[in-house]
Amino acid sequence: MEIYLPIAEVSVNWPLLVLLGALVGFVSGLFGIGGGFLMAPVLIFMGIPPTVAVASQASHVVASSTSGVIRYSGQGAVDFRMGGIMAVGGAIGAIGGVELFRYLRLLGQADLVVALSYLIFLGAIGLLMLYESLTEILRRRRGEIAPHKERRRPLWLYGLPWKMRFPKSGLYISAIPPLGLGVVAGVLSAIMGVGGGFILVPVMLYALRMKAGVVVGTSLFQIIITTAITTILQAGRNQTVDIVLSTLLLVGGVVGAQAGALYAGRFRAEELRAVLGLLILFVGIQMGLDLFVRPSDIFLLAPGISDG
Amino acid sequence: MIQAPPPPPPVVAAPAPEMSVGTEAELRVAAALTDARVQVDSRFRGATIVLYGAVFNPTDDPTDVVVVVRGPDAPVRLVKKTRNLGVWLNSRPVLFEGAPGFYMTASTRPLADIAGFGQLRRLGVGVDHLRINAPEESRTVTRYGVRDVVISRLGEDYLDWRRAVIRLREAAQLYDTDPEGVSFVDRGLFRAQVELPATAPTGEYHAEVWLFREGAPAGVSNLTLTVEKVGFEREVYELAHRRPWIYGVLCVLLAGGMGYLASRVFRRS
Repeated sequence: MEIYLPIAEVSVNWPLLVLLGALVGFVSGLFGIGGGFLMAPVLIFMGIPPTVAVASQASHVVASSTSGVIRYSGQGAVDFRMGGIMAVGGAIGAIGGVELFRYLRLLGQADLVVALSYLIFLGAIGLLMLYESLTEILRRRRGEIAPHKERRRPLWLYGLPWKMRFPKSGLYISAIPPLGLGVVAGVLSAIMGVGGGFILVPVMLYALRMKAGVVVGTSLFQIIITTAITTILQAGRNQTVDIVLSTLLLVGGVVGAQAGALYAGRFRAEELRAVLGLLILFVGIQMGLDLFVRPSDIFLLAPGISDG
Repeated sequence: MIQAPPPPPPVVAAPAPEMSVGTEAELRVAAALTDARVQVDSRFRGATIVLYGAVFNPTDDPTDVVVVVRGPDAPVRLVKKTRNLGVWLNSRPVLFEGAPGFYMTASTRPLADIAGFGQLRRLGVGVDHLRINAPEESRTVTRYGVRDVVISRLGEDYLDWRRAVIRLREAAQLYDTDPEGVSFVDRGLFRAQVELPATAPTGEYHAEVWLFREGAPAGVSNLTLTVEKVGFEREVYELAHRRPWIYGVLCVLLAGGMGYLASRVFRRS
């Protein structure tokens, strides 16, 4: 059941890859996220070179987000205008991110930056989500009523130029914040191989105060475009996209994503968020731990000039 | 991955492989691979290369056979982790100008018993003696804006780095020493087996079959072996490297199409 991956140049057990794709797809459908942050560590653990893992799974994110956007746009829950502006930012971020990643890789510091980004971003987001969802669960247990949420957006949002109307999101704000958000997501997508949904969704929800109904669909729309650009750039610039690997992951992924979406309705939102927060925190700590544990060998092969 | 330049010819001016009629009184060795091409396709999980050879030994002196298989040379970049403020960080990359991508020796006895240290070092036989290209002076090269330190053969930490390359490659089963890898099937007829892992680089491999008598090389036979990607794997690899942008667009279209298809299929059902 082994298959040789032409770009990664290793052979792997293919049913295991399909299963991994399905599992990550299930999680992504369940929580409405891309799931890239889960996939990369497992692929690396399976012996696939990190650069190939990060680049190839970006196309898995394209597939699961596409099927998500189609579902959400059917319900009118995608703000294409907002998503489009964020995607422009995403494109800029992805181009910069791929170049940055290439440079870091040659410098031999890519794994440090990947580990640090996982630790910082996933650790912070995981903790926040866990805290927020646990307080909500506790409050409901005690039968308290949720305090009225502050509905005001940060004031600086109104001071910026280039105001635009986003009727679907119920916003009239400057184009700069979504653009900037897109850039951040683009850079993360190149460096961590993730869509960036775990950053986008909270910011769109809590800082921009978009209508909750369109947040996930819009972030998925921007993720498709950003990860599609990342995939093309990684292939064109670094030749690290393995089409066989990504196809195997996709096959499982799209099926898993649909199954996950079906199950999502059975759980309470804050319980889902608590589990997701734990998961994110766990992955972040796991990846970051490498920085503090004495490595088994203090020497390490760095990617060559030839394959960079 | 680029194809490495062909490795330098063996240092010792070895006599040409004697395919011709040898005199009865001459001690020599001849060998052949059962398969001179290793094809890498989707079912590739590594390969076993079998080599047969004969020793023509007119005397009764005991002889030893050592088979050395060397993969294509390529530059090797290494980093060393150092601990700063409790965090393990990578050093600047250190570059070896060329090391074989695969290196294996198989012999009738442990190498140290067959020939002396100096002899093995001179011939470059054995992982401890294999040649890794390094200039005499340490210098830095800048490529794509990254400064690499090219390791010097005379530097004080050269041995540490060298040992690290060998250790890492041994862990990946790319370098190996098999002191019992050559077995005599019959008097004068021997058989050697070389295991290629799935991660073995593609390209030209060179095999040297050395005949040792009383600790000195008495003959050598040179063979070449090609490891190449074939079929679908080759096409994918070629496309990804020759037309990387088209390949990237293809990957995205495939992914998008797959996502679209899935949402269609699941909506119906």
